[in-house]
Amino acid sequence: MDNTENFSQFRRQSKKGILIIYLNILYKALKAFWILLFLFIQKFSKISESTLLYIYLGAAVILGLFLVRAFLIFKNFQFKIENQHFILKKGILKKTNTSIPFDRIQNINFKQNIFQQIINVHEVNIETAGSSKAEISIKALSFKEASALKQAITIYDKGTVHSETEIEEKPLLKVGFLALLKVSITENHLQSLVLLFAILVGFFQQISELFDGLGKQELLDNYITENTSSLEASVFLIVGLLIFFIIIAVLSSVVRVLLRHFNLTVFVKNNALEIYQGLTTKKSVILKNDKVQHITISHNPIKKRLGISFITFKQAISGKVKKKQDKVIKIVGCKTAQISAIKNLLFPDENLDNIDKNCSDSYYKIRLYIRSFLILLILNVGLYFAIENNHVFWIDVVLIPIFIFSVELSFRKRYYLFNEDLLLVGQGIIETHKTYLPFFKVQNIALKQTVFQARNNVADVIFQTASGKIKLPCIPLEKAHKIYNYTLFKVETSKKSWM
Amino acid sequence: MTDSFQNIAVTSFPDVTKIDFKLIDIRYLKVILLNTSLLFIALFIVLFFINDKDIFELAEYSLWLSIAILVAFIVTLFIKNIEFKQRKYAVREKDISYQNGFFFRSLTTVPFNRIQHVEIDEGPISRFFGLVSLSVFTAGDSSDDLKISGLLKEEAQQIKEFISNKIDG
Repeated sequence: MDNTENFSQFRRQSKKGILIIYLNILYKALKAFWILLFLFIQKFSKISESTLLYIYLGAAVILGLFLVRAFLIFKNFQFKIENQHFILKKGILKKTNTSIPFDRIQNINFKQNIFQQIINVHEVNIETAGSSKAEISIKALSFKEASALKQAITIYDKGTVHSETEIEEKPLLKVGFLALLKVSITENHLQSLVLLFAILVGFFQQISELFDGLGKQELLDNYITENTSSLEASVFLIVGLLIFFIIIAVLSSVVRVLLRHFNLTVFVKNNALEIYQGLTTKKSVILKNDKVQHITISHNPIKKRLGISFITFKQAISGKVKKKQDKVIKIVGCKTAQISAIKNLLFPDENLDNIDKNCSDSYYKIRLYIRSFLILLILNVGLYFAIENNHVFWIDVVLIPIFIFSVELSFRKRYYLFNEDLLLVGQGIIETHKTYLPFFKVQNIALKQTVFQARNNVADVIFQTASGKIKLPCIPLEKAHKIYNYTLFKVETSKKSWM
Repeated sequence: MTDSFQNIAVTSFPDVTKIDFKLIDIRYLKVILLNTSLLFIALFIVLFFINDKDIFELAEYSLWLSIAILVAFIVTLFIKNIEFKQRKYAVREKDISYQNGFFFRSLTTVPFNRIQHVEIDEGPISRFFGLVSLSVFTAGDSSDDLKISGLLKEEAQQIKEFISNKIDG
């Protein structure tokens, strides 16, 4: 047992890791070459037996090579803890040696996908705020090893102040299945639809490339044009399609929310939030208070009626990482009491209740109207040239009220207010977002003004934080200067650690 | 240090409206104009080839196209000229600011205690005039940090030194 707790010597991951690495390689290969497999199945009957034999042999050799590769990756993946640094050696031919000082480690996350759940190992991800290359993922550790490793790293991190408080038995927040269902049904379905659509478009492109290669592009085009021409003819089909899309949208958001947030549990521990969630891929995330840059509390009208909101935590992101999504942590299904508990934890003793809201200048509304008008114009012209039919302009009867409605709403929901340390920005159209940003987390600040804004004596203020921008559009210049100066003053005199 | 840091008086409350901004060296205007001219010369060459080979069958419009590009060239030069006077920078005790743009005015300030590192770059044309650009990087999603182009090399080095001292100290 002592062996599991000792990280001073180089050690490998759990032996089951070979299997996980192997599956990982297989998955990557499949993702890259699924079209080949598809072709193979399609042409299965046409391939002669002797070539089939070769194909099978080739596949077997490749699978065998993958296994060897998995074993070598496993063999060469070694890590240890030394001198308050986490040290990792890896690489088969190209050896890499990574060493990360503990205070640079932002997060230690556990993750379990479905295979890892079956063979009962945990993936440990060590995140740093530096470059994305420095992120470490240990594919397979037993729970005992994983928690020992986490302990070893976090104990140093908290230094002498660390007190062995176990997780309080009672979680701050636990979202059950029914509550989650409620959350998912009130999601932004349009967004889910767009997401789904994006995936489908990617899929379609791959398929059409395939057909293109086979010289069957015409066939596909014909198929599509045939269907679209009949689509123009039938109103029923359009209505049916609408209903179909709505159902798909609702279903996809339900599935998405359930997959990601199943069994969501949040604990408060020391100065951090521990979040556990996920169905097929279980994730555990530790969110340290200091590392949170800003949070957003959001709800929409239905969610408001049900008394639930979701909180989005933004942490510092490194450079130009593609998967920014990973650094955004979301807690869904929060009740009012839990929100104030979390707010208290992150920003103790801050009360913004009795402070007057500052609105954007009415110039902002004009800008929004001009922008919507331009979008409408482009849409109309585009549609006219696409369909070449004057009836197209009837779409404006629907679109114009929607645009006016959104502009009015988004202008009304735009506000900001601040006390000594904390800035609160409200925005949204149908959803309402409230973003809390402590002034000292600002990285740089900018004041932007177009010629027209200058004439109206308004300006945009843009706060750049380590996790993205926050914008105050079109506020009176005098106020903009004031908040600019105040933010600089706050940042320049702050001694607190911002990351 | 030298007189480039006279704005050192940060009171307890910094006031951005009272900063004495320094203008960018006038030689940098030449660099900008040269760069723009090169771009448009490239455009003219492309246009010439298009006409010569008649790739897009635009031969009959070639005169109008050249006039359009010429007008665009003159307008761009004119705008760059106006805009140049708006390029200003200032280094204070605890932060560095940069102002630019005429139609889209912007003012950015980066406090020293958020700076991760400072970089000095030399472009091929700038080098000829002894000018460099100074970039300041902060942590995280730092796509929009501060970059001052057209500084004298010695001055940029002094600013860099000044900031480095502030960061370490």
